[in-house]
Amino acid sequence: MADGDKKRVLVIDDASLVRLYYRDALERGGFQVDEALNGLEAFEKLTMDSPDLLVVDVNMPRMDGMTFLRLLRRQAGPIGSTPALVTSTEAGVQDMAAARAAGANFYLTKPVAQDTLALYAAMLCGIPA
Amino acid sequence: MTEEEFQRLCDFLYRRTGMLFGEAKRYYVERRITERMGATGATSFASYFARLRGDVRGEIEQFVNAFTVNETYFYREDHQLQCLTSDLLRERLKGKPRGEAVRIWSVPCSTGEEPYSIAIWLLENWPQVDSHDIEILGSDIDTGVLEAARAGVYGKRALMRLGPELIERYFEQIDDEHWRVLADLRGSVRFSPVNLVESAETRPNGRFDVIFCRNVLIYFDDASRRVAAENLYENLAPGGFICLGHSESMSRISPLFEVCRYADAIVYQRPLEAARG
Repeated sequence: MADGDKKRVLVIDDASLVRLYYRDALERGGFQVDEALNGLEAFEKLTMDSPDLLVVDVNMPRMDGMTFLRLLRRQAGPIGSTPALVTSTEAGVQDMAAARAAGANFYLTKPVAQDTLALYAAMLCGIPA
Repeated sequence: MTEEEFQRLCDFLYRRTGMLFGEAKRYYVERRITERMGATGATSFASYFARLRGDVRGEIEQFVNAFTVNETYFYREDHQLQCLTSDLLRERLKGKPRGEAVRIWSVPCSTGEEPYSIAIWLLENWPQVDSHDIEILGSDIDTGVLEAARAGVYGKRALMRLGPELIERYFEQIDDEHWRVLADLRGSVRFSPVNLVESAETRPNGRFDVIFCRNVLIYFDDASRRVAAENLYENLAPGGFICLGHSESMSRISPLFEVCRYADAIVYQRPLEAARG
């Protein structure tokens, strides 16, 4: 598939090993991947580009994932409705509810297997099997 | 170089680094001195030694750098990496408070092959890699190698144990002969200078879950080896593990550690609680 036809994912996570791990999973799944280190940097990226999916960590310095999502959903235009998949080590029902309230479309509890991430990313981007 | 000059130089090196070179290493020592004399333009041993003692233009650092052995490669002694993901991390995570980082120290790290290997190994073999904060620190007494480690550029020889798939996944090719570690992988490892026999330099690094300290204690004499072992002990969290080179044994150096035999490697552990007595 040519790069221009690929769905684009922005991975937002402060841990470089995790970004690398998710990037690898998504690139192998046929996505084009960009990265941001926290919510603030993600907003900077979103002013220049409009990805098809956001993969959002919760605990990050400068701007955490929940704050990022709440602010994102207030944005006018298509950017504000970009699908967001939250990844977190917290597995409680209340954590998932908080993510949903902030504007998440899906929630995966870490550890997230590479195949699982690619599969849910494909579903959220509406890529048929 | 006269016998006396050789001895003075070896004494100086020993006091600075804890590394002991005797008559058997005379050729090795002389080659490096000749190299440093050439580099500094010193015309006699006496003038070079004066420059060294006066640390003219940071010569001590250059001198120490010339004496360290820096040949290594990715995935060297990978049975210990296997042990890390099969046993050591699982042990360390028991009872570790949630959110507390997993800390791994590679010392000496030379030009970075070992700490980057640890990061790659974790990405490839530890399914929990995304659910813990992982800190990997690489340290070495040789500041020249640390710069190379941060740059993360390697030739074919260093990569010989990695298959083409791993090279493709974690490196970018910069020319026919060289590959650079991807930026995110470089960002996952921190580098700092350290002298293992100076507790003032080792202590600030804090406590680690696992320390890889391979093939350096063999260069020390008994006294420095004990000091280094005690410093390493202090840098381990209670219950933390240290991996040595395959020809090394901590039991012969220090009674502080317990031997742990796992399927893939023999490692040494700082006991969870110090024995009372």
